[in-house]
Amino acid sequence: MRKFLLLIRRFWTLILFITLEVISIYFIAKSRSTQGIDVINSANATVAYFYQKEQNIVSYFNLKRVNTELLNENTALRNQLFYRQSVDTFKTVSAKIPVFDYSKIDRNQDSNILAQPVTMTIAENPPLKVVRYAEYEFIPARVINNSISNDRINFITINQGSEAGIKPGMSVVSSVGIVGRVEHVSKHFATIASVLSNRKVSARLKLHEAYGQITWVPGHPDFVQMDDIAITLPIKLRDSVLTTGFASFPANIPVGTVSRIDTVKSNNTLSLQIRLATNFRTLAFVYVVVDGMEAEKEKLEKKNQSAR
Amino acid sequence: MSIYLRNIIRFALLILIQVLLLNRIPLNWWAPPYIAFVYPLFILLLPISTSTNFLMVFAFFTGLTMDAFMNTGGIHAMACVAMAISRKRVLAFLLPQRLSEYQNATPGPKIMSWGSFLTYAAILMLLHNLIYTLIEVWTLQSFWYFVVKTGITFLTSMLFVVIYLLLFTKSVNRKTFD
Repeated sequence: MRKFLLLIRRFWTLILFITLEVISIYFIAKSRSTQGIDVINSANATVAYFYQKEQNIVSYFNLKRVNTELLNENTALRNQLFYRQSVDTFKTVSAKIPVFDYSKIDRNQDSNILAQPVTMTIAENPPLKVVRYAEYEFIPARVINNSISNDRINFITINQGSEAGIKPGMSVVSSVGIVGRVEHVSKHFATIASVLSNRKVSARLKLHEAYGQITWVPGHPDFVQMDDIAITLPIKLRDSVLTTGFASFPANIPVGTVSRIDTVKSNNTLSLQIRLATNFRTLAFVYVVVDGMEAEKEKLEKKNQSAR
Repeated sequence: MSIYLRNIIRFALLILIQVLLLNRIPLNWWAPPYIAFVYPLFILLLPISTSTNFLMVFAFFTGLTMDAFMNTGGIHAMACVAMAISRKRVLAFLLPQRLSEYQNATPGPKIMSWGSFLTYAAILMLLHNLIYTLIEVWTLQSFWYFVVKTGITFLTSMLFVVIYLLLFTKSVNRKTFD
């Protein structure tokens, strides 16, 4: 026994070495097999904690790139969405109309009044007709300067200009609501007169189909006003207000929600205070709307004016 | 600073450098993507008088820590233990005096001169990288792939080891340069 102990003591280093290596091999074999990696892996609480902490810090470095990627993706999705929304398609369908055959009518029997059954046939290869009444494309841009405190007109500067295809008069929306209209364009930048200006925007109530114009009352960057609404409409607080699509804004872009309802006694109308959907204090990304049909529309409407 | 505290701090520092920096940048300078290793330096820099048994236990747990971070099972532990057991022989071969005469001294350019320290580091790092790559690749199907991968891992690891020493050694061997 003593000799055995001496032997162990003599080769203790070697034994320890072999033991440790065997343990390592065991771990390797275990982790390389499909049955779980139990203790020694990065899902382990301590290790995962470190990675979590690291990620919390490191993720900030990627934030700008991630934002840009998301913005581009959003633009692509938005383009697709509006492409589908502004299109109607229909096919030619022929239907047979039931005809009464009076000669065969038997007054006593109700069953054979119809001489011919009602059928509806679709033509062999009906031509698909497409009606396109709007054509919108969105250009993403980053807000680089923003003012909300001016009294008459507030400008937003964005980092895209004529090189990206932006022209004065185009409307600008954010991911949640309207923003304004492009005012001046340089090669790489553009300024937007935001909704917080003396420019007017046409809008409608979502539930009641009441149209009106939105004006900004200087003093508060969160609210706009909508006047001359019929007093008979049962308008409630938090009703949505959307754009109409008459002007350059695409239809059904959120403007905001009704936050206060005032009755104007002098002309029996309602005056609505609307909380804007877009938060102009923290605006960071916007989309410039390119209306592909605007030029055509304008040309046509100019004829009206000259005829007058 | 006591020698324990210094080694604990060095351990944490090396693991952090390895996990947060080097593991994040898979290099592919000449060949397949690989990672340079700097953490075996902890085992290289433990005091000379540490007994081989303790050295192996330390090495085992150092390797296991790396395995946990890199999801490699026990490959690092295995390579580190192999490093630890051969350390004493390499040191005895390279140092002029008996090992027991260096009390609490850390192997490094300070007492060994750069030439012999780099030889010492190179031998052990090569051992570590050989074992690591062998098990990581597992097959010797394409022998040259294995050789190239080991070679460049070894070279870049040595590069980072030297950089670490230049950065974190207090006075770089004033005697030799005088």
